[in-house]
Amino acid sequence: MHEAPNSLSDYRKQIDSALQDDFLRRTLDTFAVAYRANRETIFKEVDERALINQIAESRDKACQRMEELFIQFREKAEKLGVKVHRAATADEANEIIARIARENNVKRVVKSKSMTAEETQLNERLLKDNLIVDETDLGEWIIQLRHEGPSHMVMPAIHLSRYQVADDFTKVTGTKQDTDIQKLVKVARVQLRRKFIAGDMGVSGCNFAIAESGTCTIVTNEGNARMVTTLPRVHVVIAGLDKLTPTLEEALTALLVLPRNATGQRLTTYVSFIHGAGECQASPNGKKTLHIVFVDNGRTEIARDPLFSQVFRCVRCGACANVCPVFRLVGGHKMGYIYIGAIGLILTYFFHGKDIAKVLCQNCVGCEACKNVCAGGIDLPRLIREIRSRLNDELGNDTQAALLGSVMKSRKLFHSLLKFAKYAQKPFTGGTQFQRHLPAIFLGKHGFKALPAIASESFRDRWESIKPIVPNPTQTVAIFSGCAQDFVYPEELEACVKVLGANNVAVEFPFDQTCCGLPLEMMGQRKTSQDVAEQNVRAFAAGKYDAIITLCASCASHLKHNYPNLLEGRPQVLAAAKAFAEKVTDFSSYVHDVLKLGPDNFRNSGEKVTYHASCHLCRGLGVKEAPRALIASAATYVPCEEEEVCCGFGGTYSAKFPEISAQLLEKKLLNVSATGASRLVVDCPGCVMQLKGGVEKQKLGVKVTHISELLAENLKR
Amino acid sequence: MSPGDSVKTTVVDTFRAKAEAVNAIVQEVPSKAAALQYIVDVCASKSPAEILADEPDAEQGPPGPNNMPTRVKRIVAAPELDDADFATLSAACEAKGFICLRNGLRKHLAGIDVGVSTGILGVAASGTCMVNCDKEDVRLAGMICEIHVVFLRKSTIHPDLPSIASQLRQRIGEGVTYTTLISGPSRTADIERVAAVGVHGPLELHVILLED
Ligand code: SF4
Ligand code: SF4
Repeated sequence: MHEAPNSLSDYRKQIDSALQDDFLRRTLDTFAVAYRANRETIFKEVDERALINQIAESRDKACQRMEELFIQFREKAEKLGVKVHRAATADEANEIIARIARENNVKRVVKSKSMTAEETQLNERLLKDNLIVDETDLGEWIIQLRHEGPSHMVMPAIHLSRYQVADDFTKVTGTKQDTDIQKLVKVARVQLRRKFIAGDMGVSGCNFAIAESGTCTIVTNEGNARMVTTLPRVHVVIAGLDKLTPTLEEALTALLVLPRNATGQRLTTYVSFIHGAGECQASPNGKKTLHIVFVDNGRTEIARDPLFSQVFRCVRCGACANVCPVFRLVGGHKMGYIYIGAIGLILTYFFHGKDIAKVLCQNCVGCEACKNVCAGGIDLPRLIREIRSRLNDELGNDTQAALLGSVMKSRKLFHSLLKFAKYAQKPFTGGTQFQRHLPAIFLGKHGFKALPAIASESFRDRWESIKPIVPNPTQTVAIFSGCAQDFVYPEELEACVKVLGANNVAVEFPFDQTCCGLPLEMMGQRKTSQDVAEQNVRAFAAGKYDAIITLCASCASHLKHNYPNLLEGRPQVLAAAKAFAEKVTDFSSYVHDVLKLGPDNFRNSGEKVTYHASCHLCRGLGVKEAPRALIASAATYVPCEEEEVCCGFGGTYSAKFPEISAQLLEKKLLNVSATGASRLVVDCPGCVMQLKGGVEKQKLGVKVTHISELLAENLKR
Repeated sequence: MSPGDSVKTTVVDTFRAKAEAVNAIVQEVPSKAAALQYIVDVCASKSPAEILADEPDAEQGPPGPNNMPTRVKRIVAAPELDDADFATLSAACEAKGFICLRNGLRKHLAGIDVGVSTGILGVAASGTCMVNCDKEDVRLAGMICEIHVVFLRKSTIHPDLPSIASQLRQRIGEGVTYTTLISGPSRTADIERVAAVGVHGPLELHVILLED
């Protein structure tokens, strides 16, 4: 039913077939765009950030008290005639439920949606006892008929068309069914009503298990959970221990976000609070037989993990998939196992094991879109990187990652290899700035875009000759160059130095700096990534500078947000790392917010210029206005559709998943072309590399530059 | 808490707007008698309920829109009404040839025409009604009907979800085993994300706003 890829090549084959699925692609495309707009509108009525913080804080506290809450819940619920069970493993949970069915002489089970039951694969177990098990959520029922797993946590059948559904319904009813969706929904109404009536036992999930009162809260739109929990004489609730919530207020707060994030609704149609075994006229004694099975399956252990315990802030809204550019391309069957999207990659590792997770976990471009919308403010991309690092420790390094790690350990080796590449590539570049075949030192195959050549003279080699002379500086800054600009696009840095110098800023370039280490993190090379971070912190005596400027959004967000975390275990540099991180500023923010440059400082060229908002700038650092204002100061800014969607670069990601990277690029370029702009500016050399390569390959005739170059060209003297 | 009149109007307006945004039909009526009459009118003007499953005793009419036989005698269920109101409603139903029930809904799980509930309170921000479904027949009335009618007193409408916490806690504390917040008719978007109402529960939700 669920398949997990064994190897990267196996996985890429699966991805390829998903990319060929036109229906899926169209559906997820429309969905992504519509979702973004709906979400924005529906969140205007509440204070999104405050609510998310509130949820994060209360979930974190609840997670620390999981055991206590369980005891409290059990005590309260048992007084209300509920039998409370606790299962250490998925199998144990299934056995308990199978036993309940046996003891109550159950023949037919009706289920409303529960991700926890999917996690334990409860249906398979109940079928072994020859029980008739029917899913009653429309989407779940459809995929059950097809023997498939869900492709989305909220919309399990989003990958299917009305035609496929009509075929399935034709089969199950024995009557030819129309493809009209409204009619198909009514077919389900008729078929499932009969199943509700015939069911002896209902199985439901639970969104919040409120400990103070022993109450289960269940959220649905279709109303099937109300049927499942009312009609049959037995009701079994299955819930992860993480669903324990101290009080009613916390559940209500989460309900302000969950439906908004899940489906752009203010509230789901039905929110039911089940408080003990109530009236049930189908039972001989007139009372419901009510059981609650709490599933551990590793949860108490995760709850003790200082970093990963934040996964329990998850309310299963599915938003992290809805905004994920990778999900949008490949769909949920290829981006998760049972749990889907960003949280799916993480939970797969914990609930289903490293063998199933090892390949899936690689499929994240690191764009941070998920982190930005998560109902619990979980740092999903960081946790995904962390898992890669654990997987490398547990399963051994893959060769590519290990090679990268060993090269990067030494700045000198790394830099001399880059310089060597410059000579090695000569025969291939054909004299242009693009080479068709890069010697594979740190990049893989990229047929979909032209690759840049290593510059003939790196920034560090040019430094002495271009260093600005500023007699009376107002500020002193240091440049963090990042490898891409140092060795591939030194002209971007040169432009930056020109802008700064012209505005009375003294600029320094500490030579001992090296790669920021993000590529190592992305490949799970934790130890080397920490070494590299330490080296950079030491290379900059942060106290000397008003700011440390970087033109690479990815470096900036890594230096700023991840260095203090990475170096937590190295007390000798931790304080310096924090001071360093504090000073790191992206170029646009520095120029716009600190130097306050604007229309008066630039000659407006009138050129039509559009913008790509790099993931690590617009989400990683939350910088949105500065670059757009600067563009408008120096040219005519033409906004681009989906300006903030990832271009597909993702550093080493584009080498690992070239097919996905290519599709993301393709989309981006379509949007760029549609603006009619003659130039595209970006705040990140990685994106420049991706976009310039795509533009060159497709001969689009759009100039791609860093924003620093646009500004330097139009500086007023 | 006794909010001023203008504030109250705003809350009611918000309730109406948000409820209508999720396909609920919101009506204001001058009196309880008018509300009861509304139920009879709604039942009379709808097409008869389809019988979705076996119900041996039900008299069957011509097939409905989903090819299921329809009820010849329409059914209205109002388990929560007090004796006087139920007598009034019952008499009005009888005059029209409808069956009016207070209990025993398990016999009619195949579907009824109209189910009537009493909202304990409303939530303006999401157009929500809270219904005490402790009694099974109350729960069923709101689930197996084609049109669900909820009475709601204007003075019980609260601004938002957090503001109902203490009331909800109180109900739960009193031992109410089943409480549901309802916003609009049952819905799904599980096929191609196309919105459809009436998947398992009511096809329509009517909220009748009553003065105190
Ligand atoms: S960081 Fe981006 S690519 Fe990775 S899971 Fe989140 S949304 Fe998807
Ligand atoms: S991780 Fe966050 S965004 Fe993803 S399903 Fe959970 S709460 Fe929603």
